[in-house]
Amino acid sequence: MKKSLYVFSEGELKRKDNTLVFETQAGKRYLPVEDTKEIMAFGEVSFNKSLLEFISQKEILIHYFNHFGYYMGTFYPREHLNSGYMILKQAEHYQHPEKRLLIARAFVKGAYRNIRQVLKYYHNRGRELGELISLIENLGQGIEDCQEISQLMALEGHIREHYYHGFDIIINNRDFRFQERTRRPPKNFLNVLISFGNSIIYSMMLSEVYKTHLDPRIGFLHATNFRRFTLNLDVAEIFKPIIIDRLIFSLLDKNMITKDDFEHQVEGLLLKEKGKRVFVEELDRKLETTINIKSLGRNVSYRRLFRLELYKLEKHLMGEKVYEPFVASW
Amino acid sequence: MFVIMVYDINEKRVAKVLKRSRKYLYWVQNSVFEGEISETNFNKLKIELSRIIKDKEDSVIFYTFRTTKYSNRETMGLKKGGDDNIL
Repeated sequence: MKKSLYVFSEGELKRKDNTLVFETQAGKRYLPVEDTKEIMAFGEVSFNKSLLEFISQKEILIHYFNHFGYYMGTFYPREHLNSGYMILKQAEHYQHPEKRLLIARAFVKGAYRNIRQVLKYYHNRGRELGELISLIENLGQGIEDCQEISQLMALEGHIREHYYHGFDIIINNRDFRFQERTRRPPKNFLNVLISFGNSIIYSMMLSEVYKTHLDPRIGFLHATNFRRFTLNLDVAEIFKPIIIDRLIFSLLDKNMITKDDFEHQVEGLLLKEKGKRVFVEELDRKLETTINIKSLGRNVSYRRLFRLELYKLEKHLMGEKVYEPFVASW
Repeated sequence: MFVIMVYDINEKRVAKVLKRSRKYLYWVQNSVFEGEISETNFNKLKIELSRIIKDKEDSVIFYTFRTTKYSNRETMGLKKGGDDNIL
């Protein structure tokens, strides 16, 4: 599988001999362009138009993040997989209230089931989560009854709120208290990690959307607007609990990230470069691990699951097979 | 699949082979490349190289593995190149 490239150090990314080279003061590193899926730029990377041309030709996306690790944007090469048919189908399902609700509900259901799965995992390992699980299961029952997107979103917010309260029980570390979900800027360590992880997964999902005929501008749960891509946010909802949250639990459990990896700044809290690196390294490792998917009869990496989810959505839009979100079984 | 590529090429053409291989694989040492590669890209690489090399003078060897599960990689001394994707 092609690799994601994460750049933290300062340097220049260039096109050379029809491949990529990253030049720093320490020296040159050649990177096989045919083995590169996307570039995540965290550090000060400079590049020129000839690199952008080359990257477009190779259908590689560049996601860039600011100094604080917030997602800033994507260099999105000219669309390579243009399908008017799929866009029309997508728009049709967006505009028809019932059809849209059906898909939006599937996303919320997927997110809910994966959240429940994560809680159950820790419950089976002796954490006191029984009450919380039944509370969330009660809320989950209501997904089918939602007749409006706004109700659905409110319900999802509710579930997530309760779920985040479970974090304190799971993590059990005085330095990492959840308190409440805060964003822009996140007010405590845990919120920094959640935001950082989520923004990476959103951009990865965007890379996958790029490889399908779907249009990232038309989401179903998140309302389509003039500002941003939304389809990737929709699909990422399903994977956030099982990828990012689980990663955070294991990083904190193994003390791979501690409170020393953060620094206070005027604008809020900041994860230091070392912390970001550890996070990204472990995330990359996690995404490469494979699991057996019974319906396919073969092993598939977590990262590949992102794309498969989009293919299922395409099938739904074309009326071939009703979309069922991915639910982790462990 | 995973590939280890080693080569012994006449000086006149060695730079060309180096440059071509960089597109697909990670350079690890002089005359050694390795990396994960798809079936198609592997064929492309072989075709591209066959156009450069002279059969009577040059030699390229590929070791391919379906997975790296049963292999072990040990190194001594300097780390010259590698397949890091976090820079």
